[in-house]
Amino acid sequence: MKDALAIEIKGLIKAYGPVQALRGVNLEVRRGEILGFLGPNGAGKTTTIRCLLDLIRPQSGQMRVLGLDPRKDSVALRSRVGYLPGELKLEGNLTVKETLRYFDNLRGRRSDWRYVRRLAEQLELDLEKPVKNLSKGNKQKVGLIQALMSRPELLLLDEPTSGLDPLMQQVVYRLLREARAGGATVFFSSHVISEVEAIAERVAIIRSGVIVEEAEPGALINMSLRRFRLRFREPVDIDPLTAVEGVTLVERKGDREATLQVEGEVDGFIKALGAFPVSDLQSDHLSLEEVFLAYYKNGQKNDPREEQEDAGRV
Amino acid sequence: MQAEFKHMLRRLRWQIIGWSLGVVLYDLLLAFFYPSMVDMGDAIIDYIKAFPQGMVAFFENIYAIATPMGYLDVYFFSYMHLIIGILAIGTGAGLLAGDEERGTLDLVMAQPVSRSGLFWGRWTALLAALVIILAAGWLSWALPSRSIGMDLTWRQLLLPFLPLLAVLMLFASLALLLSMILPAARIAGMATGALLVGNYLLAGLANLNEKLQPVMKYTPLHYYQGGTAVEGLELCWLLGLLAAALLAAAAAWLLFLRRDIRVGGERSWKLT
Repeated sequence: MKDALAIEIKGLIKAYGPVQALRGVNLEVRRGEILGFLGPNGAGKTTTIRCLLDLIRPQSGQMRVLGLDPRKDSVALRSRVGYLPGELKLEGNLTVKETLRYFDNLRGRRSDWRYVRRLAEQLELDLEKPVKNLSKGNKQKVGLIQALMSRPELLLLDEPTSGLDPLMQQVVYRLLREARAGGATVFFSSHVISEVEAIAERVAIIRSGVIVEEAEPGALINMSLRRFRLRFREPVDIDPLTAVEGVTLVERKGDREATLQVEGEVDGFIKALGAFPVSDLQSDHLSLEEVFLAYYKNGQKNDPREEQEDAGRV
Repeated sequence: MQAEFKHMLRRLRWQIIGWSLGVVLYDLLLAFFYPSMVDMGDAIIDYIKAFPQGMVAFFENIYAIATPMGYLDVYFFSYMHLIIGILAIGTGAGLLAGDEERGTLDLVMAQPVSRSGLFWGRWTALLAALVIILAAGWLSWALPSRSIGMDLTWRQLLLPFLPLLAVLMLFASLALLLSMILPAARIAGMATGALLVGNYLLAGLANLNEKLQPVMKYTPLHYYQGGTAVEGLELCWLLGLLAAALLAAAAAWLLFLRRDIRVGGERSWKLT
């Protein structure tokens, strides 16, 4: 049964001096699945991934990755893992091809270069260009190719679509699905709910160094939070709007402007809005931290930070 | 380790070419100036005697300047460790910490390469770079030696380059060690540079004041032979310097094995 797990983490604790980055992470990732690791900035996503690769050492906790101990079998493990760092930095004085050759040499020249060229074509990346002349998005593509090129059993990707335009994001989603279809396990972090919804088969949510939820991506809709700024042609009473389930008033400016927050599905709100003389409407997705704040404030979940503090008091 | 060695050597290629070229040109200039120095004979010694003692103290064999040993020592080996030391210390300090600060080490360490392989691959690449530069220096003395009347064999000319290599590797390894302890590669480089220059000044001052001689015994440059090695190598001193270089490198390696690799940027002085 244990072999069915690509990643197994128990009670992982990591502190940077007084800063507690991970407060006891427990997580299991099944082989062959795409797991989205969702959390706001500073939640502990990168720290968890870097612990799995033995780039940093936790104070306590247990980890098994592809059945191996990352500390004791780090080289054997890394030969089976493709990694994309969240803050990708590459040597500027090499071309893309030289950069990929260097990583391939470190991997014992196992990569299939026809596959590398195909990846470069799909991602519209020129292999002959010097890395220093590449945009952030193109550097990200180099990072993605180096992670994928040896067809690893496990992909650890920290914010894989960072810096990519929406079309390229779709290409990356397709490549990850292809990798999964080829038998790979994909563990990727993100702070964008829609991205996780788009590709993940399962989601783990981390906040303040603790896994607060593991769920199907469909459950994320409950956490979806949008803010609507409305302007009306004439003075209105917005009580019928705030009466809709999941809708709360954020701000009211006079009797012609209002800002409303909608939690979950927007169908009821849109239908109710149809009866109003709307002259302008703006919609924003809230940041994940704002979503979490609202989510926890509403009492649907206990805030892990408060739980930790409570545990400390005991 | 081999892949990292090759890659590091490739990264250092322009420094190797530039420094080798500089050393060769300087050597050739000095080599072709040698016959006129010999021709001056005792006149140059009389001239040197007029120099202030404080200046002469930094060139131990200055009164032998008209001999091959004295000429090599005064004009090349008495300060070449300071000059090539800039490259050795700078490269040593940035060998791992530099990449860590630039954020490029993270991805390298995520490849199937052991920390030991990465460390020693880079360290041996630095050693190879210094060997190439010093080999260029040696050849640029050895090739014209007959034509300028320098009565030394190629082997004799090679001997002083060995302590020079050892002392350079010692300070490079020390810079590497300090880069594992201090918050930034540049601080490690500055600290090691200060140690080298401080030791050089102390060596000169110890020639003026005998009370400083016992202190000198505890410093690396006391065991650096310089040009006098053409007359016979102090093997124990050479091995001692090499052992100290290896010891510093080994200490840096142990610290690197236990180190958390940063995503980028320098560490801070704050104790955490």
